[in-house]
Amino acid sequence: MEKASDNLSSLYGKTLFLDKLFSYCPGCGHGIVTRLVAETIEAMGIREKTVSVVGIGCGGFSHHYMDIDAIEAMHGRSPSVATGFKLASPENFVFTYQGDGDMSAIGLADLLHAANKGLPITCLMINNTVFGMTGGQMSPTSLPGQVTATTQKGRDPHIHGYPILVPEMMLAMPGVKYLARESVADAPAIRRAGKSLRRAFECQEKNLGFAFIEFIVPCPTGLKKSVLESYDWCKNQMTAYFKPAVFIDQTE
Amino acid sequence: MPEETLFLKNTETFAEAMVRCGVRYHFAYPITPASDVMKYSAMLLPQYGGRMIQMESELAVANALAGCACAGKLGATSTSGPGMSLMQETISFMAGAELPCLMLDSMRVGPGDGDIIGAQSNYFQATRGGGHGDYRVIVLAPDSGQSIVDLMPVGVKLAFTYRSPVLFVIDGVTAQMTETSTFQEPRDYAADFDTSSWRYTGTKDHPKRFLLTGSYSHSQGYELNERLRAKFEIIKEKEQRWEDQYLEGAELLLVGFGIHGRMIRELTAQLRSQNHKVGRINPISLWPFPDKAFEKIPSGLKNVLVVEMNHGQMIDDVRLALNGRAPTHFLGKTGGDTPLRTLAEIRAKALELLEG
Amino acid sequence: MLYKCVFSGSGGQGSALLAKLVCQAAIIDKLKVVMTQTYGIEQRGGDSTAFVIVSDLPIGNPLVEADGNLGIALSASTYGMCLASMGNSGRLFYNSSLIKQEIEKPGLEQIPLEASDLAIEVGGSPRGLNLVLLGAAVAATKILKIETVEEVLRETIGHKKPALLESNLASFRAGLAKA
Repeated sequence: MEKASDNLSSLYGKTLFLDKLFSYCPGCGHGIVTRLVAETIEAMGIREKTVSVVGIGCGGFSHHYMDIDAIEAMHGRSPSVATGFKLASPENFVFTYQGDGDMSAIGLADLLHAANKGLPITCLMINNTVFGMTGGQMSPTSLPGQVTATTQKGRDPHIHGYPILVPEMMLAMPGVKYLARESVADAPAIRRAGKSLRRAFECQEKNLGFAFIEFIVPCPTGLKKSVLESYDWCKNQMTAYFKPAVFIDQTE
Repeated sequence: MPEETLFLKNTETFAEAMVRCGVRYHFAYPITPASDVMKYSAMLLPQYGGRMIQMESELAVANALAGCACAGKLGATSTSGPGMSLMQETISFMAGAELPCLMLDSMRVGPGDGDIIGAQSNYFQATRGGGHGDYRVIVLAPDSGQSIVDLMPVGVKLAFTYRSPVLFVIDGVTAQMTETSTFQEPRDYAADFDTSSWRYTGTKDHPKRFLLTGSYSHSQGYELNERLRAKFEIIKEKEQRWEDQYLEGAELLLVGFGIHGRMIRELTAQLRSQNHKVGRINPISLWPFPDKAFEKIPSGLKNVLVVEMNHGQMIDDVRLALNGRAPTHFLGKTGGDTPLRTLAEIRAKALELLEG
Repeated sequence: MLYKCVFSGSGGQGSALLAKLVCQAAIIDKLKVVMTQTYGIEQRGGDSTAFVIVSDLPIGNPLVEADGNLGIALSASTYGMCLASMGNSGRLFYNSSLIKQEIEKPGLEQIPLEASDLAIEVGGSPRGLNLVLLGAAVAATKILKIETVEEVLRETIGHKKPALLESNLASFRAGLAKA
């Protein structure tokens, strides 16, 4: 009997593993970004040379759903690992897949210096405003007033600081050739995110320089919301602070 | 190009030797007394089609080195105490992930920022592992420019044979010394090793591979650790390195590595020529520690003197190796204008033990 | 043969250069060499001492620990430092143009030489004072071949500053003649 995945395989090709048991929670925004990544790799025909460097956190699972080589780096260090890898093996396509905790908390220096070096690698930050895997603690990107496991009365910027705007920190770096913030809050946003991802990947394929995208995604489990509520929150609260935009596009 | 004698600072000798033996990527961050390695390699590596990459911290250094190793290429780094401490998490990672690389700890006085004068205070950190988990890295201790040159091919072979970081520890006094070393013609020892069976360079020639030093199940973690344990046992059995001399009839055994090993070599010969019953063991691999060297100590041995540029670290391993067979004494020092025991001081202590 | 050399001088007098010259010449003469210097956070100038061990056999102890047997002191402020590193045998050549008071050390032969004055006399500048003293030391000890030292001078100084070479050679030869 024909399996449902056979039909899907013809649609998605070889990159996406459709039979792999999914470990993202229901409604998790990672599922959408991971699919977009797989589709982009498939569409560009770069699967066999692609290496994913993943962070610690739920984003670390992303490579399990793709038929690509992967390196699970130490917490926050993926951009440095990718830098060393790309220098030693420029013929490979290398991207990092990290959450907001991995990238904007412990790994911010690694990211910014990788960006500033301007090497042709691609870094993706999946921002759901919480440490999801460890139980919904505050992250540097948690919104003012956001209740988390470690900010029971809501994030107070006077104590915890303000949500960090990561791509904006790279605006003055000439080595960054593609820089964007996208969201997966609804279908049009996901379509835009897919196009943006293609640009960011092509930036590396054309050997132009560093590319970065922040994806604003919901984490129903970490946010303690239903799936629908979390998407609503993503669309209305998160993107109000983290405004989607293509900041730099020098890929032409 | 036949063999060639160069007069270099030993940090430069390290750089020259590693590049001649196949290192093409050197990741580093400036720190005294290791900075000359990167200065020299930045000049030398382009001639070999490689690069020195100055990173932004030792965290970034160690992780870029890990990335380089994931591509199956031989990378190296060079640092000193504080930098070494920052790299520990990634050294644990590389040991767990079985990634080969060369590292240099040009040791200086600690703790904390410490002092830039040379020391051997990182023996524990090097041999016990300053990072987390049940892991070991191979540690080699050259005692001169020439032994850096001679041990470099050994280091590259060990790194790839056992897929492990290989750490060279050199006291900062030796590292900053300028001396003559004779180099063989360049030979890329890393090229002898086929990395295609494990490197992470895309699924073109192999099914999906991924590097995981964590675990998704407790049994997975157990299996990883068992595999590492078995490997470490083999290394312990096969890779002990040392130099010994005059053990026969010795009543006093001198033990030292690095610069003190070199001084003990001279002192032992000097004392033997004056009919003193002295022998010596110079550990060259600090991990695995050369336990086997101590298996053949003579029955008439009365005392063992361990000399280190610290407050007594390797002496623990000497005691374990001796297992109570002889009283063990210590002479050491860390820091100061002359941050080590002089030959005269070691000689005086040796004579005291011989006469006592 | 084993020479444990101590070269001390103040900023710009060329004690480090002296050490390097001896090393380079010794290497050409197929000898083993170790050079150690006190090092600190990057800085220049001030008093410094360089130690050079020259031997026809592999060198064990790389330290000069109050057992130097060939010393050269260029300045008054470093004379004491140099003397402290010397043993109770061998020779210490010092610049008596600047070092006015000799301090006795039993067993150590001390040779005063008005090196600054001599350098001005033969080369027109006191800069060659280090080579005057080296010349005297080489002539007295035969630690290095004279031709080798001159060859190294030509290679190191001659390339960059041909004018300086002649005055340096003159200083070195003036020292040789004084021994």
